Amino acid sequence: MLFSDRSLWTMFHGIVLSGAALAALVAALFFVLATRPAGAAPVPLTPRQARWLSGATILAAVTLWLVVIVGTYVVFPLYRVPPPEGATDLALYPRAMLLADPATAWLHSFAMEIKEHVPFIAAILATGVAAVGARNPATLVNDPRIRAMGITLLTICLGLVSAAGLLGTFINKVAPLQ
Amino acid sequence: MAAFLAAGAGAFAVGFWVILSEAGVFAAPTLYGPAGGVSGRTTFGVLTWLIVWAVLHARWKSREVNARSVSSATLVLIVLGLLFTFPPVWAIFG
Repeated sequence: MLFSDRSLWTMFHGIVLSGAALAALVAALFFVLATRPAGAAPVPLTPRQARWLSGATILAAVTLWLVVIVGTYVVFPLYRVPPPEGATDLALYPRAMLLADPATAWLHSFAMEIKEHVPFIAAILATGVAAVGARNPATLVNDPRIRAMGITLLTICLGLVSAAGLLGTFINKVAPLQ
Repeated sequence: MAAFLAAGAGAFAVGFWVILSEAGVFAAPTLYGPAGGVSGRTTFGVLTWLIVWAVLHARWKSREVNARSVSSATLVLIVLGLLFTFPPVWAIFG
């Protein structure tokens, strides 16, 4: 078989789900920024615009929760399986493989530790924005304070997910789940 | 604004349970063995967030809140939450 189940789960987590989350975050950010009021007057959203804005924020939150759930409960357990006593070939045990070499140990102690927790923060922040976007998309666009917070939280999410994705790429490059 | 402040509190809560664990003060129980301690830490963080959100939502439903203060508090909580999940910071508390 060309790809193992372990490898497919990693790709599903890292490329399909994380990729969808990044795309949805960019879309949500774009919708909020693109509907910027020209002056003090509020921007009336058409039902279609409101649907797209709500949809993008909800999609970002849902995909981020899928990323963290699959990452934590499917991919991470595969990554941290301990090797049997006396094993010399650690190719199937990525965590042990990284920690066995001082040059790559940081990929676990720094990169993976960040990946364990930070995506949860991104999912929580995205859900906060989605709650506002779903209940009242016009407020997310027209209320200056809420709009600023929405943009700030979405930007933070985008940064966190991008960083986690980059660290995941580093880890998978050195110690892939085969 | 309750959703935003609760999100900040959620970010802080995730960091809070992580730093407590790393400092050896309190380790949230492992809820799923194959995933290890992260399953407990993050579940505790998520539950804390949901509780804070429910409380804020109930209390602020019909109340005007100072948006500037809420925004500032949200950002401070997020920064603290992120700092507490940053491995080099653990050495200070460990």
